[in-house]
Amino acid sequence: MESSSPTSLPESAVEPDFASFDLLVDALGRWSESGPAWPPARGVRSEWEEIAPRLERARRELARVLVVGVVGGTGTGKSTLVNALAAGEVTAAGDVARPTTVQPVVVAARDVDVSWLPLDAMSARLVRSDSPAVANIVLVDCPDPDTQDFQDGPADPSRPSAGNRNRDVLEAVLPACDVLLLVATAQKYRSWIVAREVAAFAPGRPLFFVQTHASRDPDIRADWKRELESQGFDVPRIYRIDGVEAAARSAARLEPEPEFRDLVAAIDGELAGRAARRVRRTGALDLAAWFTRQARTGSAPTAAPVAALVSGVETERKRLEGILARSIGETLRANRSAWQRLIGDDVVARWHGGPFASFLHVIAAAGSFWSRVRPGAGVVGRLLAGRPIDATCRDGGWRAVEELGLPAAEVEQSRSVLAGLAARAGMHAPLVGRARLDDAAAATATSALVDRAGQWLSAGIDRLVAERRSRVGRPVVHWVFEVLFSALLVTVLVRAGWNFFHGNLWQGGPVSGIGFLEEALVWVILWGLVLRWLIMWLVRVGLDRDIQSLVGSVASSQLIDPLLADFAAAASACSSWLDEGARLAAEADRLADVSGETPGLGRLRRPTS
Amino acid sequence: MAPDSLVPRMSSAPTLAPPSFAAWAGTVAELCRQVEQLVPLAAALGAEDPAARGWYAALFGKLKPQVSREPLLVAAVCGGTNTGKSLITNTLVGAAISRSVPEAARTLHPVASLAPGVAARTDLAALFPGFTPVPWTSEADAVDATAVDVLVWREDLAGTQPERLVVLDTPDIDGTLRVNWHRAELVRTAADVVVAVLTQQKYNDAAVRDFFAAAVAAGKTLIVVFNMVDWPRQRERIAGWLATFTAETAAVPAAVYAAPHDFAAAEAGRITLHPLPELTPDGTAVPLAERLSTGDFDRIKRQAMAGALRVVADPEHGLGAWLDGLDRAAAGWRDAQRLLEREGRVQVELPAPPREIVWDEVWRWLEPRRSAIDLVVSGGYRTVGQGLSWAARRLGVGRTAAERKEDFTATELEALKRALADFVDRLDDACRRDTRLAARLAPRLATADRSAWYADLERRHAALPLVSEDYRTFVRTELDKFAAANPGMVKAVLTGLTVGSVVRPVMTIALFSAGAAAVPAAAGVLHHVLDFGVTVAAPLAGEGAVAAAAQGIRPLIERLFAGWSAERGRILAETLHDVVLGDGVAEIASLAEAGRRPEIARARQLLVECSRESA
Repeated sequence: MESSSPTSLPESAVEPDFASFDLLVDALGRWSESGPAWPPARGVRSEWEEIAPRLERARRELARVLVVGVVGGTGTGKSTLVNALAAGEVTAAGDVARPTTVQPVVVAARDVDVSWLPLDAMSARLVRSDSPAVANIVLVDCPDPDTQDFQDGPADPSRPSAGNRNRDVLEAVLPACDVLLLVATAQKYRSWIVAREVAAFAPGRPLFFVQTHASRDPDIRADWKRELESQGFDVPRIYRIDGVEAAARSAARLEPEPEFRDLVAAIDGELAGRAARRVRRTGALDLAAWFTRQARTGSAPTAAPVAALVSGVETERKRLEGILARSIGETLRANRSAWQRLIGDDVVARWHGGPFASFLHVIAAAGSFWSRVRPGAGVVGRLLAGRPIDATCRDGGWRAVEELGLPAAEVEQSRSVLAGLAARAGMHAPLVGRARLDDAAAATATSALVDRAGQWLSAGIDRLVAERRSRVGRPVVHWVFEVLFSALLVTVLVRAGWNFFHGNLWQGGPVSGIGFLEEALVWVILWGLVLRWLIMWLVRVGLDRDIQSLVGSVASSQLIDPLLADFAAAASACSSWLDEGARLAAEADRLADVSGETPGLGRLRRPTS
Repeated sequence: MAPDSLVPRMSSAPTLAPPSFAAWAGTVAELCRQVEQLVPLAAALGAEDPAARGWYAALFGKLKPQVSREPLLVAAVCGGTNTGKSLITNTLVGAAISRSVPEAARTLHPVASLAPGVAARTDLAALFPGFTPVPWTSEADAVDATAVDVLVWREDLAGTQPERLVVLDTPDIDGTLRVNWHRAELVRTAADVVVAVLTQQKYNDAAVRDFFAAAVAAGKTLIVVFNMVDWPRQRERIAGWLATFTAETAAVPAAVYAAPHDFAAAEAGRITLHPLPELTPDGTAVPLAERLSTGDFDRIKRQAMAGALRVVADPEHGLGAWLDGLDRAAAGWRDAQRLLEREGRVQVELPAPPREIVWDEVWRWLEPRRSAIDLVVSGGYRTVGQGLSWAARRLGVGRTAAERKEDFTATELEALKRALADFVDRLDDACRRDTRLAARLAPRLATADRSAWYADLERRHAALPLVSEDYRTFVRTELDKFAAANPGMVKAVLTGLTVGSVVRPVMTIALFSAGAAAVPAAAGVLHHVLDFGVTVAAPLAGEGAVAAAAQGIRPLIERLFAGWSAERGRILAETLHDVVLGDGVAEIASLAEAGRRPEIARARQLLVECSRESA
């Protein structure tokens, strides 16, 4: 860290920005690397892999000198300008042949350590200079981008330019540059190829703009400024100098012309010492903001399809739940007798100590034989018959689900609809499965569904039964029925006693005998059955409404989820990834906006198309 | 190419046409027509768009417009941004026709200078395809940013311009406005002579080299002007610059000039063009304007036409290569169609149809053919059968006929929906495996609201009666045929149907008519529904099958059931065609056939004829 240079800002005013920048870079890294297996996320990840090292370097090497790359079309006087700044012939310049510079030249002051510069990868030559203009920066004379063939394929070997690799060399040099010094002439300031190369490397790299050949060409700065602004650049100033003149003056140790002096002063003021930190931080923030904007532009077209998938999952889930709820409700209603048995048996089992209770136990014992003959079918039938869901139900695959009342065809229809929505959002395997589940996936999904349905239904049925039991099975109800039943019994016994004691012993009439008791027994049984029917009626009252409310709770029980799990998970993953991207973009924009100004330097503000 | 000197010679009574010229022009015109018909096909096939290719430009921008017209000599002044094209053009025609400004890339539209009367007798729009000719009003016309694809023309009022010469100022070839490049390329294509304006900054730029190399390859006569030369200091540098330029572009310039850098003179619209005889093949120092007006027009014109034809006939990058590309694309579509044939096939396990559906129809056909005693006996059978099924229903093991039909239609709809889902899944998969199919079908598959497909299937299914008139006709026809062939066995039909027979129909829906191969044995019925083959096999099972086999009527009964099921399957095929795939399948079939289109062979033949006749 450089601590000796004069500082205009107190340390504390700068540090919070660094802290939030660090947080932003960490969040961007997490976001980029945690994206789902989805083309937009993959694109962001590969873009991140490109810029992450640059952001990391910006954090690590905050205090090292800045590398200024001099770029522009061939013949615009890059080398002449470098010579003028270095106050000596450090690189070949002239009009003998185009291109002149094929090997990049790195100019640095004698005491500046440049061991961190990858000179070999840049295929560059290092030259030391004592010129004050390069005392606090490293200057790179770059090759031009416009003499190498456009075509990427093999060039026509008969052309001398087939061996021209200037643009490739340029693209190897520019990554090492922190700041660009863009040189143009009246002939070249609207060059398409130069604009393309600069646009590719401008994100996160502040720029100086210089029009050369001032003594020969008209002043085109106003038009160039418009052109640059249309490409998204902030252009605070364009310097207009004559490189040849400046080089001659600096060689002759003459006072430089005002524009050239301004340029040198700007380089020193904007790039040296403490300013370097600001430039680097601004550049890094611009780069982060550019990255988030680029990522958002890339994924923006998928936002609507992802939202459509999210709502599609919801629609299809509701549709399948509706089908399931309807048919479970129908099955529950159709199994009236099973309900009755289930609740009635339960009630009766708890009634003890009374003639009516004993009567009911006898009937239940006889009835249980019948229920064993006709066991209930499917999951609902099993549960109503009081048997648990076991492995045979779970492993039944689609059959088990269809028994629940959800046809496989409806599930496949939903998955097919969702597969279409997913395809529109660019989601494919392995992010989402196919419309038709394969056997293994179907087995997992259906057994999960049967399991959940079993738990939900048995809990619901238990609740219903318990509620009815507590209503019908209360002791007071029991005793009312006992009294009603006993009343006939007592009447019969009183009648028999009266008959015997009064009629026979007192009045001497004939004994009614066993015939009366047989007849009475029939009446008692009939009366018992009537009372039992009455209990069952009490059990049944309001059952439909209760079944309806049980079935209505199907939505909150998430029964359908296993069948659409892949689509639901993909939709939510992609949609939250997009949301996080939007949040980070806003944060990066905010930081870039509040970051320190670099008044003399141009910046690329918005992504180039 | 021979060094091309513009010999000072006034050409009188110009004639370009050799004896066979008219025939040649006719061949070129027909070739153009064939290619025009093939262009939409190429787009449909996904083959290369020829509009960006040199041969296409040469054919439609040079040969077609110029082969049968008054042989005007077109000279175009071309170069990079701010190299002084407009200034040189103004100097050449001796008038300020195109505004020269300090800012770069300002000339947006070509400006043509014509001899008096040319505009009246020449269809300029046809001569310069891609442009709308507009008459010149001021030198600002060329820089008017509101106009689109116009070509500004002005007749030379001084009357010094030769009658057959057209001189054009063109937009730049290397600026940030790519539309300018395109316009310059259109002008270059139409030109016979190209005046290359070079500077020491730009003579070796890739964009500049490529532009002029293409002009050289198309047989244009090239004249080089080095502008903004630090005169005379840089005079000896020019030979080196020119050597680099000619080595890069294979150009043999007819003449070379140098214009000194003189800011004041340029501001005043004046410029001096120094001939460089030492770099000019004929060693003469003829001024540029004079050289242009006195050249051997016919030879230059012929050379440019031959050059254009050479570009069209180029075996690697010409029309032939494009036609080969069409063949390859069509072959790719054939592969895609085969993949679709393999994948686009779904087997549907239909539920067993309620027997009485077919039975009732047969009964109705039999009724008038039966004796009274027969009727009584089978009426008795019927009553007994009804009684039995009533008893079964009471016991809770049977269902009423209406309930059975309801059950059947619900199960059938499920089977059809599963088949639709399966079909779409297979199509999705085929699109993933074949980019052509993806291009053609994936937009349909991905952007459509798929729930609408299922709704459509449900609607069709609900609308189809269990027994349609079509099916009644089918049954009557089948039975009539059978009765005619086997007069003694009519009664056996009834037995075959009444004894508890069961059918398990299996339906196959296949794209194109691939299903035809899949009809199993005699039991199958094949329906062609649009692009689909619906095949149904309905084998008879149960004890009824044994009885029917013994009677020899098994194939008939199977056909009756299969026919009924095939009609049910139609609705799936119709949904697939009408709402899922639309004409996509028919288009794929026609693209797979495209390789056999006669236009391709005819275009090849015409290309050979063209080259032969021009030689």
